[in-house]
Amino acid sequence: MIEVNNLVKRFGDHLAVDNLSFTVEKGQILGFLGPNGAGKSTTMNIVTGYISATEGSVIINGHDIFDEPEEAKKCIGYLPELPPLYQDMTVKEYLNFVADLKMVKKSEKNKMIAKIIGMTKIADVSERLIKQLSKGFKQRVGLAQAMMGFPDVLILDEPTVGLDPMQIIEIRDLIKRLSKDHTIILSSHILSEVSAVCDTVMIINKGKLIVSDTPDNLSKHIGGSNGLHLQIKGDKEKINAALSDIEEITKIDYESGAKDGIITLTAYCSEDNDIREAVFYALSDARCPILNMQSSNMSLEDIFLEVTQSKGRNKHGQGLGRRKNGPVKSNEAPSQAATDQVAALQKEQNQETESEEEN
Amino acid sequence: MLAIYKKELKSYFTSMTGYVFIAFFLVIIGIYYVIYNMIQLYANFEYVLSSVSFIFILLVPILTMRLMAEENKQKTDQLLFTSPLPVGKIIAGKYFAVLTVFLTVMGIISLYPLILMQFGTLSLKVAYGSILGFFLLGAAYIAIGLFISALTESQVVAAVVSFVVILITALMDGIVNLLPKDKKSAWIILSIIIIVLCWLAYLMMNNLTISLSAGIIAEVVLTVFYLIKPTVFDGLVSRVFNWFSVIARFDNYTQGVLDLSSAVYFISIVFLFQFLTVQAIKKRRWS
Repeated sequence: MIEVNNLVKRFGDHLAVDNLSFTVEKGQILGFLGPNGAGKSTTMNIVTGYISATEGSVIINGHDIFDEPEEAKKCIGYLPELPPLYQDMTVKEYLNFVADLKMVKKSEKNKMIAKIIGMTKIADVSERLIKQLSKGFKQRVGLAQAMMGFPDVLILDEPTVGLDPMQIIEIRDLIKRLSKDHTIILSSHILSEVSAVCDTVMIINKGKLIVSDTPDNLSKHIGGSNGLHLQIKGDKEKINAALSDIEEITKIDYESGAKDGIITLTAYCSEDNDIREAVFYALSDARCPILNMQSSNMSLEDIFLEVTQSKGRNKHGQGLGRRKNGPVKSNEAPSQAATDQVAALQKEQNQETESEEEN
Repeated sequence: MLAIYKKELKSYFTSMTGYVFIAFFLVIIGIYYVIYNMIQLYANFEYVLSSVSFIFILLVPILTMRLMAEENKQKTDQLLFTSPLPVGKIIAGKYFAVLTVFLTVMGIISLYPLILMQFGTLSLKVAYGSILGFFLLGAAYIAIGLFISALTESQVVAAVVSFVVILITALMDGIVNLLPKDKKSAWIILSIIIIVLCWLAYLMMNNLTISLSAGIIAEVVLTVFYLIKPTVFDGLVSRVFNWFSVIARFDNYTQGVLDLSSAVYFISIVFLFQFLTVQAIKKRRWS
């Protein structure tokens, strides 16, 4: 169990973490999401006791990381952004050293090392020097290091960076399995990863918490309403007449340029209504066959871009506000607006990295 | 602590560093041993040690530059400082590992007087007393090297700074003789030292009022002392600078004096720099 209260970290004038608070219960996976330089790694470094906080407190299993560092650190396994590996050791030697460092009992040590090697699938390379390993294997050895001693809390900074898709799936499964008896915080800027693994997602930008919710709720809430994306064969007036009979529909967006008599549209209704059946019967009565029907909730990508971008324009928390015009037409992507947003985001990130380097 | 100790010791002998250090050390001492004891037939092993004490200027930086600088650079310090081990124990583990490498050399050297015994008589007490002094001198230098290594990420910077610092302590004897001995220059030099210390305190703490007021108080006390009791200032400069002359303390041992105050001096250097290393690391993580 992790409790973080009003965490603030300043590097000179640069505010890296701005009043961050959150709680992670046992068995939960919390995902930090944010662009580069958002303060994810800094927060993790503070939570693990590697660096201090300017203000605020971190409590791990009832031990304050600043007041009782030894006790608190016993409960933590940490995989930093760059796995802390000694290049001149073999994998086995390294894990042996880490086990000693984390005060694993002599009687359990060999068994535990063998188990962890099996779980992270590094048995084939266990006799090789770490400097000769590929990035993916180094990352796994780093993960094995964090798991050593099976601490209650695992903190993983971008655990799947540098892995191939097959390995990413394996590591994700491993993290999910670990979450049964560990509390896990992981960070990522890969959105699909966070939505696949985490119970709760925290989107952070410029050190500030922007949104914190489950991945499902996030896409529901931020969308503001449910959308149904439809491709229908038939006449526009006929379809319109059929759909307007359904009371739940609040708004219909037609896409321009009907091809071969196929109309593409998005129908919106309020969150808790399901209009799929009604739409099906209405259109079948009107003899307009539905070719494609798909709910168009905002994907995490859209939410991410939305909240990290709107942060710059509006004040804190605006990302959660419902927009009156209905959600972004996500299926229309990649629109010019979206590409502009991405470009702007990248530009912003570059500036941030530069200013960090100056520090 | 044992984990760190074992890991460090192993890394000295998986890389070349440990072997290079031991080999180089033994070669230099061997050369002097042959020249003094075998060719010129002196029955004094302490002459050898007295002549080779310059060796630390070259070899201690090689031994200590890697210790913390490499961890800082490879970011493996993240593993160490997020482990349940307190910083003090990590530093102590590292220090004892280097000391063990150094002790290996000392162990081999301890045989030399015994070899010499086969060919005549010599005072074993003086010989082993000087070996003890030599060991304490090395232990003090290693602590200084460890501290400097913890300040930087670059092994080269660590090596060069350690080299210069040890060189200055070795040359201090000669420098002291060149310094003026009258009262007025003592007052001026001490004032300069106070200013420099305050400036350093300001850099470390970023607090202008504290460092400035401490500096002014120290300066006033110094001046009052100077006006009331000027005799204290006679030769004060050389006495102050003599404190930094680490090698001079070793000379007593080579003259057959088992100098307790020098032993205390060396051991306090070891503890002082261990403490400073821990503080430097903590400060870096807390700023």
